[in-house]
Amino acid sequence: MILQYELTEENRRLCALAPGEEIYYCLPLDLDLEGRYRKNSFLVMTDRRILVLEEGVLTGEYLIGDWDAIRSEPQIGCGIVYLEGQGRQLLLGRYSARHLTRFSYLRRGMEILKQGRRDRVVSGEYERSCPKCGRALPGTRECPRCAGKKEGILPTFLGMLRPHRARLAVILLLMLAATFVTLANPAIQRHLVDDVLTAPEKDYGKAYLCIFFMLVMSVGITAVNVGKSYLCARLGSYISQDQRQKLFDRIQLLSLSFINERSPGELMNRIVQDTARIKDFMADVFCNMFTVVILFVCVTAYMLVLDWQLALIALAFAPFSVFLSIAWRKNIRKRFHLQGIKSDKMNSSLQDVISGMAVVKTYGQEGREAAHFDGTAEDFSRIQRGNETFFALFYPILTFLLGTGTYLVTFFGGSRTLEGGMTPGELLQFVSYASLMYSYVGWLSNMPRALMNLVTSLERIGDVLTQEPRIRDLPGAKPHPIRGEICFRHASFGYKSYQPVLEDINLTVKPGEMIGLVGASGTGKSTMINLIMHLYEVDDGEILVDGVDIRQIRLEDYHRQIGVVLQENFLFAGTILNNIRFARPQASTEEIIRAAKMANAHDFICRTPDGYNTYVGEHGYNLSGGERQRIAIARAILHDPRLLILDEATASLDTESEFLIQKALGRLTAGRTTFAIAHRLSTLKDADRLVVIDGHRIAEVGTHEELLAKKGIYYGLVQAQLQMQGKKQEQ
Amino acid sequence: MAMDHNKEGEGREFTLSQMEEETEEMLRIRYLNRGNAEFQRTGTGFLSLKVGEERYPRVQVVRMFPFTDKDGFLSIRTPDERSREIGIIEKWGDFDEETCQMLREQLSLRYFTPVITKVLNIKDEYGYAYFDVVTNFGACRFTIQMGGNAVVHLTDTRILIYDIDENRFEIPDIGALTPGERRKLDLFL
Repeated sequence: MILQYELTEENRRLCALAPGEEIYYCLPLDLDLEGRYRKNSFLVMTDRRILVLEEGVLTGEYLIGDWDAIRSEPQIGCGIVYLEGQGRQLLLGRYSARHLTRFSYLRRGMEILKQGRRDRVVSGEYERSCPKCGRALPGTRECPRCAGKKEGILPTFLGMLRPHRARLAVILLLMLAATFVTLANPAIQRHLVDDVLTAPEKDYGKAYLCIFFMLVMSVGITAVNVGKSYLCARLGSYISQDQRQKLFDRIQLLSLSFINERSPGELMNRIVQDTARIKDFMADVFCNMFTVVILFVCVTAYMLVLDWQLALIALAFAPFSVFLSIAWRKNIRKRFHLQGIKSDKMNSSLQDVISGMAVVKTYGQEGREAAHFDGTAEDFSRIQRGNETFFALFYPILTFLLGTGTYLVTFFGGSRTLEGGMTPGELLQFVSYASLMYSYVGWLSNMPRALMNLVTSLERIGDVLTQEPRIRDLPGAKPHPIRGEICFRHASFGYKSYQPVLEDINLTVKPGEMIGLVGASGTGKSTMINLIMHLYEVDDGEILVDGVDIRQIRLEDYHRQIGVVLQENFLFAGTILNNIRFARPQASTEEIIRAAKMANAHDFICRTPDGYNTYVGEHGYNLSGGERQRIAIARAILHDPRLLILDEATASLDTESEFLIQKALGRLTAGRTTFAIAHRLSTLKDADRLVVIDGHRIAEVGTHEELLAKKGIYYGLVQAQLQMQGKKQEQ
Repeated sequence: MAMDHNKEGEGREFTLSQMEEETEEMLRIRYLNRGNAEFQRTGTGFLSLKVGEERYPRVQVVRMFPFTDKDGFLSIRTPDERSREIGIIEKWGDFDEETCQMLREQLSLRYFTPVITKVLNIKDEYGYAYFDVVTNFGACRFTIQMGGNAVVHLTDTRILIYDIDENRFEIPDIGALTPGERRKLDLFL
């Protein structure tokens, strides 16, 4: 991300840099205080001063040494930057949301400069749009367009076909065969009429032979078409399957933030419907596309050779059709896009209601939700109806207009035959070719619809496939067997980098140590866990695992060594056995039983009618919360992780379940580096050390006793919880 | 002695009594008016407040209902992380014109949602839509993601558009646009 914009000579002159003074950061203040857009205003930070340039005037000049810090504060749709120090805050300027992230780097930049260091803060974040062409960057560092990478629809489509070259070659051969047979049939008909039926001598043998050839041709073309359609449908299925797989793999690879920004319905539509459209295109359109194009060219050429004047009459209506198709192309594309969007909305709305059905029922809002869904469904249906009506009218009218050409050809050709300028066979052949040509033009006029349908789906698929995962294996990343030492070094992170959740975290955890993370809601405990699990990457500083930078460890290998037990654990629809085995598919039955026993799950499993084969239902809803929890622990035990994460693992459970789970967790955590979050502090008293997070930073570290003796935040929290318990007991 | 809230939030300790006190404080609705509150420009771009004995060197002015009641119910809060509510202003009439002007200045500093007055062109390409529009703050080009939740329908006729940089744009009444402009927006309505 750019942190030093280029200044014009005029602006540099205004800065009046002293000898040796260097500009370190230069960011646009693209809004004035009233909100008007402006282009020539900047905040400049040199190694000794901060300057404000507004529309060609130097309006502020401040010495870095005179101020404590520079701060950027996100507002609603914009941000402000101000200096802090001398007991006050001094507003320097305002910028649009486009520069929110950029300005957040200034604070650290100034800190470094104030320390007398001369290193520059470098942002690893990507620009959201290309500084050269202004196009949005699909989560990539460089603009595919400006970097000259092919990203058009045709290269994408050809790329999809590439792995299926052999199948494609057979289909192309069949297409050529279909072309030949279709062209040859009218020629035989002409021969039959001119040389056999109207010949002075009746030659039945020749007539039978012609009819036999025509029959063979008809059977042949049927066989070729069946084979062609079958192979095209299969090719479509393969390509569709490839794309589904690629989409699924990519969605799994992409960061959680990408998934969270999109609704599940929309992502499902792309995996299911858009890939299905590719299959339909291959089966319905691609299958005939080349045959039709080749035949159209051949038939037209042949007609011109036979009788160029009659051919031109026949062709007179073709440009009209082409014109109509081009003129309506944009409209048709828009119709498909709109239909896609409405379908996404309907699916998301449905998914939303089904997922939250319990809440809907609890508040008796079934009627309102049904009305809401009816609205979105009606919206989709209205657009779909409109589109179907449009296509039902557009194409028949187009075909009818084209069909009128056949009458013209018959009229003029018939006149010429009567005058003796043409034989009846030639007329028959010509009319047959003209009919063929019109049917091809009609078919081709459908092409924009089919192509735009395909293009829309390819674009929607491409939107996901071109996203680069934020977290990926660096070149040279290696597998690393974790011993268990985790070290945070000046680690800072925010889901939006201009809103830090954790700042300057420094902590070293020894192998096998159990760390309890304590703090109020929203202080960043779960975020710290997310960073340890490498679901996100730190914006600043580093995390070392056994002294190795976490980014240098292969992601898949790293995740395989982590076990997680959350407050609400996800169980897959399937049996208890499959859910436990999910962690290690090759685990033996005995290992699974042992894991279940250690998790205090074995007994309740045996009490169920189907034992380990009990079907847990979607999300495991056939089981109680405590049972689901114990299965999750069994899964984690079987996984035998080197790093263990417990995020509120015993919250919201009854006393007996909690006791059983605490026991199970005790077995699970033994000898493993463990990070545990719990709001109920009593559950963390056995932790080797407690880390209290407050105000985005680590506020206290120590054992339960040490922190109590310190009488700080932890002491306060424990006291508050004890007093609350006391109050409850009194009541 | 006046209480200075400059360093609020630092060195907090959690005790039950304090928590109860804070909860009570949080539940209380304190209306601010010309009788109990005195706002002043800081001279450095911000606003300070004196309520009784409490002094706040900088306060933030927040709209409680930014879409449905833009000019009523302003929450006056501390600008720190905790963003504690100091009081509520129910309506402009509770203060003199000079104070209202100061509050408006702070609101215009905090909120930036240009209103689209004219849609010149919308081009969609590879999952993004490129808008070329005129707003009440001048001409502007921005990009939105076609999928996702870039367009939020506040009502049937009022929409809020979020671009890829998190800028916000509002169309208060789609009906006020020309048919040509509405056609361009078709995909998003």
